[in-house]
Amino acid sequence: MTGPAERDALAAEYALGTLDAAERAVVSLRMTKEPELSAAITEWENRLAPLSYLIEPVAPPVELAKKIEQKVAAATFGAITPGALPQPVSVVDLDVERRLRRWRGIGIGASALAASLALFIGVREAGRPATNQNFVAVFQKDDASPSFVMSVDLASRTLSVKRVAAEVPSGKTYQLWIASDQLGVGPQSLGLVEQGSDVKQAIARIDPGIVQNALFGVSLEPAGGSPTGKPTGPVFHAKLIPTAQ
Amino acid sequence: MHTVTPMTAEELTKLMQRVAARDRTAFASLYAATSGKLYGVVLRIVNRRDLADEILQEVYVKIWERAGDFDARRASPITWMATIARNRALDEARKVKPVSLEDMPAGFDVVSDAPLALDLLMRSEDGRRLSDCLQRLDAEKRDVVVQAYLHGLSREDLGKRFDRPVPTIKTWLHRSLAQLKDCLAA
Repeated sequence: MTGPAERDALAAEYALGTLDAAERAVVSLRMTKEPELSAAITEWENRLAPLSYLIEPVAPPVELAKKIEQKVAAATFGAITPGALPQPVSVVDLDVERRLRRWRGIGIGASALAASLALFIGVREAGRPATNQNFVAVFQKDDASPSFVMSVDLASRTLSVKRVAAEVPSGKTYQLWIASDQLGVGPQSLGLVEQGSDVKQAIARIDPGIVQNALFGVSLEPAGGSPTGKPTGPVFHAKLIPTAQ
Repeated sequence: MHTVTPMTAEELTKLMQRVAARDRTAFASLYAATSGKLYGVVLRIVNRRDLADEILQEVYVKIWERAGDFDARRASPITWMATIARNRALDEARKVKPVSLEDMPAGFDVVSDAPLALDLLMRSEDGRRLSDCLQRLDAEKRDVVVQAYLHGLSREDLGKRFDRPVPTIKTWLHRSLAQLKDCLAA
């Protein structure tokens, strides 16, 4: 459990901008469910805001105004109302520093699955009591590039995936997979992670005990998803980390 | 380049309310009054015009979509908008491996031996208070905080720039920020 001092330090560094990509992604998830953290960040943004007086204004290219106007017109027809924006579903309240360091140590990549699994034991040991229903997973290529962040709420049987830094090459799509011995041989598809949007999926059909201990993967596939029903492109792997509650 | 007369927070707040009500004319005025500032903020962090152009578009679309969430009791309109711009730029800066400091284009001469000119902070009451509190930090630690903010530098970037181990930077940041908070609350 993070105390007020740690929370404030995290809020301050988030507002200052010194956190790395994975830390920023986790804080932005936590903010949606932790009013104290969110309030602390707003306070820090206000404290530091005068520093932007030191930045000379720069006139943007003239054509940008027109482009923005067009996008705004399109967004208006799309009837996006402020309250209707998708929110990640899971509560994330983990000791960011320690856990992210742990994730970095694991070094998830398209590398050997077996090696990853062996290392995941370390994560499991750090696990919180089983009463916790909220989990988070960071899929990453390297230290600075969390590609996706996933949160899982077993109570409501939902998961949400947020694309953070993964590029989507044209004609390609990302697909989310779950793998567990209890689900049969090889990974099972949980659907596509569509370009530019956060994905919410119901996982009602899978037993929570299995979900909790499964291995998750996000693979790069041809548009429309894997033609074979199994991952065909490079895969980022991740396991769920329980969040403190 | 001619300068636009800066609008007051009250004027911007009124515009924001009209934008929240889907007034496109108000949005155009808001853009005219604030885009130079936001573009400056973004450009300092990403150091690339092409990226800054894309980010600015996203930022204003977001401002349009979220104007209804703006709460004048929590932040000034310009701080609210600049925060959206900074956060988007910071996410981008962390994503594209930041340009190494040596590669920074001319015109972004960010490393300077000259003491930081904090005079510009004197324009406003909150700026004066922040400046007073920053002056109480050691010069190098103050530079770490200010450079981090202006250029969106990570702890790793700061470690390279100030030639210190990253854990030292982290400790400095935590102490300096806690000191600033206490000073500002005094």
